[in-house]
Amino acid sequence: MRAFILFVSCLIFASCEKEIAIEVDKVTEQYVVEASINQLFPNLNYVYITKTIDYFKPEFSLNGLKDAQVNITEGVIVGDDTLFNGTVHQFIPVTDSILPGIYINPFFQGKLNTPYLLNIELKDGSKISGSTFIGKAPVIDSLVYWYTLQDKDTNGYFWMEWKDGPEQNNYRMAVYDGFDSLLLGWGAAQRFYTFDDQLINNTSRPFRSFRPYDYGDTISIYLSSIGRKEFLFWQSFSTAVNNNGPFASPVAVKSNIKGAIGSFTGYAITQKKFIIK
Amino acid sequence: MRLYKVVLNIFIVGLFVTQSTTIAFAQSKFEIAGYVKDATNGETLIGATIRAISSKRVTQTNTYGYFSIALNSNEDSLAVSYIGFQTTYYKINTNKKSNIAIELKPLQISSKEIVITGEKSNKQITSTTMSIAEISGEKLKNLPVILGEQDVLKAITLLPGIKSGGEAGTGFYVRGGGPDQNLILMDEAVVYNPSHLFGFLSVFNSDAVKNIEIIKGGMPANYGGRLSSILNVTMREGNNQKTQFSGGVGLISSRFTVEGPILKGKSSYLISGRRTYIDVIAKPFVPENVKGNSYYFYDLNVKTNLVLDEKNRLFFSGYFGRDVLNFQSPRNKDVFFNFGWGNNTATLRWNHLFNKQLFLNTSLIYNRYDLFNDFTFGNNGFNVKSGVEDINLKMDFNWFGLNNHSIKFGYNYTFHKFQPGILSGSIGTTNLSQAINPQYAHEFAAYLADEWKISQRIALNLGLRAVAFNLVGPYDQKAYDPDTGLPTGQVKTYQSSESIAFYPVLEPRASINYLINEVSSVKASFTQTYQFLHLATTSGAQFPIDLWVPSSKKIKPQLAYQYAIGYYRNFLNDVVETSIEAYYKPMFNQIEFKPGAQLFFNQNLENEMVFGNGLSYGVEFLVRKNSGRLNGWVGYTWSRSTRQFDQLNQGQVYFYRYDRTHDMSLTLSYQLNKKWTANFVFVFGTGNAVTLPSGRYAYRFGYNITENKPELVFIDVYDKINSYRLPAYHRADVSFTYIRKKTEKWESSWNFSIYNVYNRANPYFVYFFPDVELGEVKAYMVYLFPILPSVQWNFKF
Repeated sequence: MRAFILFVSCLIFASCEKEIAIEVDKVTEQYVVEASINQLFPNLNYVYITKTIDYFKPEFSLNGLKDAQVNITEGVIVGDDTLFNGTVHQFIPVTDSILPGIYINPFFQGKLNTPYLLNIELKDGSKISGSTFIGKAPVIDSLVYWYTLQDKDTNGYFWMEWKDGPEQNNYRMAVYDGFDSLLLGWGAAQRFYTFDDQLINNTSRPFRSFRPYDYGDTISIYLSSIGRKEFLFWQSFSTAVNNNGPFASPVAVKSNIKGAIGSFTGYAITQKKFIIK
Repeated sequence: MRLYKVVLNIFIVGLFVTQSTTIAFAQSKFEIAGYVKDATNGETLIGATIRAISSKRVTQTNTYGYFSIALNSNEDSLAVSYIGFQTTYYKINTNKKSNIAIELKPLQISSKEIVITGEKSNKQITSTTMSIAEISGEKLKNLPVILGEQDVLKAITLLPGIKSGGEAGTGFYVRGGGPDQNLILMDEAVVYNPSHLFGFLSVFNSDAVKNIEIIKGGMPANYGGRLSSILNVTMREGNNQKTQFSGGVGLISSRFTVEGPILKGKSSYLISGRRTYIDVIAKPFVPENVKGNSYYFYDLNVKTNLVLDEKNRLFFSGYFGRDVLNFQSPRNKDVFFNFGWGNNTATLRWNHLFNKQLFLNTSLIYNRYDLFNDFTFGNNGFNVKSGVEDINLKMDFNWFGLNNHSIKFGYNYTFHKFQPGILSGSIGTTNLSQAINPQYAHEFAAYLADEWKISQRIALNLGLRAVAFNLVGPYDQKAYDPDTGLPTGQVKTYQSSESIAFYPVLEPRASINYLINEVSSVKASFTQTYQFLHLATTSGAQFPIDLWVPSSKKIKPQLAYQYAIGYYRNFLNDVVETSIEAYYKPMFNQIEFKPGAQLFFNQNLENEMVFGNGLSYGVEFLVRKNSGRLNGWVGYTWSRSTRQFDQLNQGQVYFYRYDRTHDMSLTLSYQLNKKWTANFVFVFGTGNAVTLPSGRYAYRFGYNITENKPELVFIDVYDKINSYRLPAYHRADVSFTYIRKKTEKWESSWNFSIYNVYNRANPYFVYFFPDVELGEVKAYMVYLFPILPSVQWNFKF
């Protein structure tokens, strides 16, 4: 909403800008972890370890941490307790040519309704840990798409619905423009939505796209069920990504891991692909 | 029900006291009372100075233009003065038992020379009030404007101790307090959101404004409810002599006012409207992809007064204003967004004179601020509504029955209703119907204040305000898990009128004036204030979507103490006033939100809040010349304002966002000749304290196979709050007012303004842009208004 207000304000008052020199303090160094596992796509099982960097440091993304020991352990739920005594999956670094700091295990496949524990030991002895849960994948009951002709545009949209159960549910959805079955990392998708069932619970949950697609566009939808703490992280992450403008205020993401900023998220994914025709 | 009974009892006691005093003090001494009015239109004049020449007593008219003054003998004369009017001398007629009406004529410019003899009173020296400033509606019209729009809230930021939120914003910050710590009243009705156009213009139509009073310290006991200031905007009553039409055409809006007598000389009405045409003007310039946008605002002021008899007058005033923003997607025409917000107020007042010594005003007030948000797409859609509304009954007595005392007492009862959000609509086969529980509160205040002239040199103003705030049911208090933000399932249900949180507090007020001599005095004041309503915002500014929330079990009332001391000195036969005031204001139970807090439609808003303390202190200087061909003022403030929250900034003290070490303003008006007046404004302020990121990290990894490169977004990391300063803000504006024609029947004038004469690029905000291709981060400062000429045509017939 604030972004929209800013947008309108800028329309009304033609603002100007100029480059300025500004010096900021050095950042307090912290580790950052993005860990993702799911039950469907091996390419979306990865751990990315990096560090915070000073704001004006010229290198952008080349501070990934190599030489870390990364393990993900399966667990079981016994009554109210969660025991992590299952198979230990070691994640190993990929080649630097992709991105330093990325760890994968091509043989790992997440299981639905299963808890997982992440343990990371860094070269300097620092330890990072977190847990997540791959829950129940949502079932998309209906998916329709259509297009309308307007001037030279073909405006394509889609609508889908799934059943939200009586339990508390949290969702994260990624939309990828294309039929890429080798999607490597969530960041390759174009649009992300994070929402829960606070407003629509235990009933049919609709979703409607508002960005128009062109005739013939291919679309892949990844609808995932995620845990509550993971939801809080991605919700705050979304706020942080869109935090700009004159009224922006500092945002601290709500991490769900210990020893670092970031999240360990288990995705119970349902995927749909289609072509707007 | 307890509060209702208290209200009833006080009302009965009040009436008893008034009848008793009528008996006890009537005819006890020689007393003269009446109204001071503008001779041209019959409008009462607020704060006019009445000086009994032989008796050497001074008083001022109250908000309704009424005064009462005790005289030592019946051989006396009154000198009545008011800024912009000729001083009038009134010979006391000892046989006259009724109230008198003293009419003042506006200053005229003779054909030979320009003589402007405004108020030459030493009110500043003799009065116990301090930290109060006034701007008349007429003065407001002479200030340079932006985009052809006069603005009350921008005008008051030219006074020392009152800071503007930034470029063109209407938010104001008084002595280190937040924007929600200012009680904004329009004819006694609370205005919760005082701005149009997302804060660029205020809701106050200058054509309908009679007087603006801002109290930033030494708060009288009849006011309360906010920590930092009271902005009291009084609407005009309308011309009771003849029907008159007036208005103005500006660059982005136009105004039109009609006013006239209902009963000539006795009663009048005023209807004043304003609408912007930004939507029409901007249309040709709007890019094709956002053509579906439109924005407009309008407001309507109405006021009428009726003189029932010599002792009874009725007033009704109302305000209705709204901003509307529409959006329709150009490529997706079935998607429509409609967003609107606005204030409604209605004030019914009854002035009653029991006798010359006792004046009563009874007010019944309704005010509401609401927001609606409709979103439709095809056959689907939903809307969200929120708002806050009050019903307020108050009685204010002015009693002049004791020699050397002016006593005010009364009470004020307000019923608040807070509606944080109602969602309804349908999407597909799913119906949406959710509401965040509304909250209800009673707020009752009773006060007693005595302005006591102890001796010729010492005057004391003592006041006590007793307030009780009671948050009541019906309400379902849900418990939430602090980690997940989810309801635990535990619900405590409060029945209708059942107490949820109760805060009875006392607010002592005191000020003292020591008259050094006829032209200089020293004053000191102490004020204790509580605030029970709080604005939920994360930006430090006020937005339409921001919610007002009441004090509850968890949200304690905000508390402030303010200590102020000042030295006042007049020069040149009271033509030039100077003052220096120092203040020290600790504040407690201040509210901030956790970084990244989710405020909209959040049932568990309290979980997003953190609580801490604040401290403000500073020194304000003012030199003001109210009369003469050249008049105006220069103000300077040195100040500090800090906050300390255990959960923010590692518990360390940090600067408040609008901490401004140096703040200076110069406002000059010069009468060039009969037709031309030149006005000049210069402002300077230390840059706002801002929080800038100290670092960042890459996240949401993805690999773009097509371009064979990783895709990442960068998230900012913040270490310290408000540890950076934006560049200083300074700007000069000039305007020229040209009176093209001024006759009995027709007035026409033009206002030519240039905002930001020397084209200063003042910072609006700073942002960073990481340029991945170049491998560097650049910082950019956005500024809004370069040099900006505007023109406005005003007319009256």
